[in-house]
Amino acid sequence: MAQKKSIGIIDYGAGNFLSVERAFRKLGVEPLRVTPSTRATIRELTHLVFPGVGRAAQAMTAIQESGLSEGILAHAKQGKPLLGICVGMQLLGKYSAEDETAGLGLLDFSLAHLRDMGVKAVVPHMGWNELDFRGWSPNALQQQGHCTSRILANDFVSSMDRKDVYFVHSYAAPTGSVGAAGADIVVAQTVYDGVPFAAIVGKENILGTQFHVEKSGQVGLDILNAFIAMEA
Amino acid sequence: MLKSRLIPCLDIRDGQVTKGVSFKSNVDLGDPVPLAAKYYAEGADEIVIYDITASIERRPPDAATIARIADQVFVPICVGGGVSSLDDAALVIRSGAEKVSLNSIAPRRPELLREIASHFGVQAVVLSLDVVRDAACQSGYRVFVQGGRVATDWDMMAWLKFAIPFGVGEVCINSIDEDGMRNGYDLQVLELARKHLEVPIIASGGAGNVGHLAQAVKAGADAVLLASLLHIDGLSCRSIKHELGAMGLSMRLDG
Repeated sequence: MAQKKSIGIIDYGAGNFLSVERAFRKLGVEPLRVTPSTRATIRELTHLVFPGVGRAAQAMTAIQESGLSEGILAHAKQGKPLLGICVGMQLLGKYSAEDETAGLGLLDFSLAHLRDMGVKAVVPHMGWNELDFRGWSPNALQQQGHCTSRILANDFVSSMDRKDVYFVHSYAAPTGSVGAAGADIVVAQTVYDGVPFAAIVGKENILGTQFHVEKSGQVGLDILNAFIAMEA
Repeated sequence: MLKSRLIPCLDIRDGQVTKGVSFKSNVDLGDPVPLAAKYYAEGADEIVIYDITASIERRPPDAATIARIADQVFVPICVGGGVSSLDDAALVIRSGAEKVSLNSIAPRRPELLREIASHFGVQAVVLSLDVVRDAACQSGYRVFVQGGRVATDWDMMAWLKFAIPFGVGEVCINSIDEDGMRNGYDLQVLELARKHLEVPIIASGGAGNVGHLAQAVKAGADAVLLASLLHIDGLSCRSIKHELGAMGLSMRLDG
C-alpha cells in the first residue's frame, strides 16, 4: 500500500544539515526541518533523518539537552524508518570511545578509534572507499534469516556491492564485535588499511551510514531513495 | 581501498570561471554552476572553487554561488579565496561546502587554522600553498602568497611542519613554476612532501595530459587538481578516470 510520506531532518546545528536537505530535494522530496522547538512534529513524520558531523559527545549533548533524543527514540520504537548519517549513525549505537560517549542504544554496537582497531594509515579515514555487502541480498537474507534490515528488501541496495562512497571519520564500529545479541546488524562493511568496519548498519526500520550518503554521488542518492522507499 | 581523487578546480573571477597561465593572462569560461554540475555528473570526486579575487577585494567568498553549486553537486565541495576568519569559514560551510582552503592568510594568522579545525574538524581545513623553486631554500622551494605574486620567508617544508599541527586535514601544493605550463606536475615537490607528511596531499599545477596525473599519484599525491585538461581540452572526468584505472590506479569508476 502506498502511503503519504513525510520526511523530517533533525536540525540541531550539525554541519551537514543543509547538504542532507539538498540531497532530499534533489530526489523530489521536500523534507521538514525538525528543530528543538518543533520537535513535537516528529510524531507526524513517517521518516526521520539524524545527520551529524564532528564530535559524538557534542552531538549527543545537543540532542539530549534539546529534548530531540526522546523524539528520535519514540519514532524508532514505533517501527518508523530512521536514518542516522555519520555521527548520527554512530549515536544509534550503545557507546563511542570518543569522549566515552553513551549513544541512543537503538542498535547493538560500539565504536572504537580506527588507530585502536589497527589502522596504521592516515586517520581520519577520508575519501572514497568501497561498500562490501558480504553476500547479502534479499535471497541470502531469507536463507540466513538473521540480518533484519528492511533496506535489504530493496534489491538494488545490495547491487551497490563494491560501489564507492565518501567517508570522513576517525571512529568506527568493528565488524567483529557487533551482532553479540545474535542479530547481525552490519549490512555492509568497508575495509581501510586492512581493517574492516561497519559502513551500513541496520535492523528492521533503523538504518545508519558511517559515510556521508549526501555527498556520495549517485550511489548515495540511490541509498537515500531506498530509505524513502521503506514503508513506515 | 581508498581511491585516488580527481578534483576539477574552478577559479572564479567576477562570477565567471577563468583559467590563467602562470597566474597572469586569463580566459573566461562562463557560469561556474553548470560547469560544476557537468563535472559532478561526469564523476568528479570533489569540486574545488577558488574565488580568486575575494582576498584582494577583502571580501568573503561568494556564498550565493557556493549555494547554487551545492544544490547540484553531491560530492564534497572545497572553497578557497577570501576565507580570513572563522565567520568566513562558517559562511562557506553553511552555504554548502565541506572544506575551506586557506592560502595567503595562513602565514599571517596560522591560529586561524586551529580555530576552524576546532570548530569544524581538521577534515574541513585544507592548507593550500603556492611554491616556487628556490635554491636558497633548504627544501628547494619557497612559499609565495597573494596568488603567487609575493614571496614569504618560509621554506616550504619548514612551513608545512610548522602549520600542519595547528589543524590541517589536507595539503594542496601548487607549483607556480608549472602552473598552466602543461608540462606535468612538479614530481619532486610531491615526493618530498610525501616523504615527510602524514596528511593527504593534493597535487596542483601543470597537468597537460592524463599521464601527468598518473605520475603525480605515483609520486605520492592522494588527489590531483586539474583545470586545463577539462576546461580547455574538453576531456571528461569519466574518460580520464577510466584511463587512470587502466594505468593501474585505484579510481572511483561508478560515480
